[in-house]
Amino acid sequence: MQVVNLIEVLKSKKAIVVRTIDEAPGVKTFALKLSGEYDIKPGQFSMLYYWGIGEAPISLANLPLKTGSSTIIEHTVRSTGVVTNTIVENARIGSVLGVRGPYGKGWPLEKHENMNIVIVAGGIGLAPLRPVIKYIEKNREKYKDVYLLYGARTPADMLYKYEHESYSRMPGVKVLLSSDVRVEGWSHHVGFVTDLVKYVDVRTEETVAYVCGPEVMMRVAVKKLLDKGFRKDNIFLSLERRMRCGVGICGTCQFGHYFVCRDGPVFSYSEIEDYLWIEGV
Amino acid sequence: MINVSIRTDLYYVGNIYDLDKLIRILRETYGRRLQGYKYYGGKVTWGEINGISDLPLSVEDYVEPGLYRLREGYRFRHSSVSPKLFLLPSKQIYIVESNDFSQAKVLDYNVSIQYVLFGIKPCDLNAINVLDRMIGEKNPVYAHRRRSISAIIVEECLEPNNNCFCGVMNSGPFVEKDFDIAYARLDDKRVIFKYGSSFGRDVLSKLELRIAGEKEVYEYLEKTKLARERTSAVFKKSMKEIQESLMNKARDKELWLKISENCVGCGNCNFVCPTCFCLEFDYSINGEDQGVKIANWTGCLLYSYGQVAGGHFRPELYTRYRHFILHKFVFYPRQIERLGCVGCGRCITWCPMSIDLRECVNNAISG
Repeated sequence: MQVVNLIEVLKSKKAIVVRTIDEAPGVKTFALKLSGEYDIKPGQFSMLYYWGIGEAPISLANLPLKTGSSTIIEHTVRSTGVVTNTIVENARIGSVLGVRGPYGKGWPLEKHENMNIVIVAGGIGLAPLRPVIKYIEKNREKYKDVYLLYGARTPADMLYKYEHESYSRMPGVKVLLSSDVRVEGWSHHVGFVTDLVKYVDVRTEETVAYVCGPEVMMRVAVKKLLDKGFRKDNIFLSLERRMRCGVGICGTCQFGHYFVCRDGPVFSYSEIEDYLWIEGV
Repeated sequence: MINVSIRTDLYYVGNIYDLDKLIRILRETYGRRLQGYKYYGGKVTWGEINGISDLPLSVEDYVEPGLYRLREGYRFRHSSVSPKLFLLPSKQIYIVESNDFSQAKVLDYNVSIQYVLFGIKPCDLNAINVLDRMIGEKNPVYAHRRRSISAIIVEECLEPNNNCFCGVMNSGPFVEKDFDIAYARLDDKRVIFKYGSSFGRDVLSKLELRIAGEKEVYEYLEKTKLARERTSAVFKKSMKEIQESLMNKARDKELWLKISENCVGCGNCNFVCPTCFCLEFDYSINGEDQGVKIANWTGCLLYSYGQVAGGHFRPELYTRYRHFILHKFVFYPRQIERLGCVGCGRCITWCPMSIDLRECVNNAISG
């Protein structure tokens, strides 16, 4: 057996910031150029490294773009802790970040061809689901009806606002938006994004749901989807935990008996139903 | 329960000076270096074994929950360290990278020396098996250090201490496989040896020991049986029932608050546990162009376990204490198909609040 080379496991690759987009207060999307291949799939994540400061696990936020000998990936970062704050505040076009990955299991999009897809996203939770939308856009004929239910605390907190219209212009795609608080000029739903589940009109036996957002929101979403008749193994959630290594050796991302970095971050509800309802498991 | 046949020719008898001979043969004839429990400065710590004076041969540990005393005797069982200190060091220097990521080097993990683990305990051997399954080849530091171990010599326990419960965890106090040589001290002078591999047999043959007499083998087996029984009568239910019960009660917050009420979240249990493996990464800048990633031990009892930027998945101590127990008894079996606790009792001995894991499990599963 060949011992894995440490350099290959934990060394960061050089990534140059080629574009930044202000998404919402404290949230930026970074387009990063890496030389060579970086085969990351929707739902997988990278460890973004601000040299000398620290690493943070960040989901892929767009399909990777291969251009000649390099790959461009996008990561949407919300300034929350030391590392993300440093990245959001300091990284600009031309900056160098470290990237290692891709890690984890992504959304099982290929398994779900010929099905309806319901995407439920809360706040920053849209980021790992955006490549799903992009993938569907690229492979529209492979999927049936698509719903995007997206909510945030306020409309200003929403990500990718400049794209929402293009999502709803895709054939067979319904976009339903929600703001937790009432804001002047907001013509969409006011309340929680999970309220929107009732507007989903699909045959649940041929529909999968992809959910990402704060864990409380995901629990409510699961309840509502189950009530609607969704099968447990047709509901998929992307979880967040404290992650340090990305490869299942540091142990800090444990959720029940799962290592979220390695066994997730995307789980089917049937895999995690033992644990999802236990506080702090 | 004990599957050792009464064939006396499998056992050899010598005295403690044969341990010295054994050390010398391994070092000089085979060119190995030895790592094990080392008696140094009035304490038993972990380190290189160069001769019989390094072995804790004339001390024994007296323990109770929250108490550890080393006194004169010949039954050393535990110290706060374990082979984990060698295999998965508390500070693992991982990687040094330049600020443009063009250069990276790895420090201090490539062990090319052939080591022998000397005098580790049956529970330690099982703990290594747990780590092999859990970490194995995935952590290069562990993988390289593990590979550097060319032989394992186990000291079996004929008289376990008060906090030992290896019997019920099926991890001792004797060994049947995965070792090269095992020995046990029948009394303060006589040592009984057996081999577990062809390498072990070759080495033993060089010691020129006499084949054990029937009486000695009988004495050894009797003591082993008693020790097994003593470390097995611990829990009120079978392991299967314990596991079911723990999982059924995982949501009972009041119960876990009660069980963990004395815990202060210091993490001692994690650090002395021979199977706890959690790591926390630390980042720093060393000099002009060196970004250093280091991994240090962390533990599920510490506050930061489960904390993320902007939130915390285990803010309450009871959830972290519950994870410690559920992981060892329920999640390890789901992850690696064996229990994560080897019953060494270190977490009981080194708990500053004298919390007894055995009692906690019994409380959790009763009622």
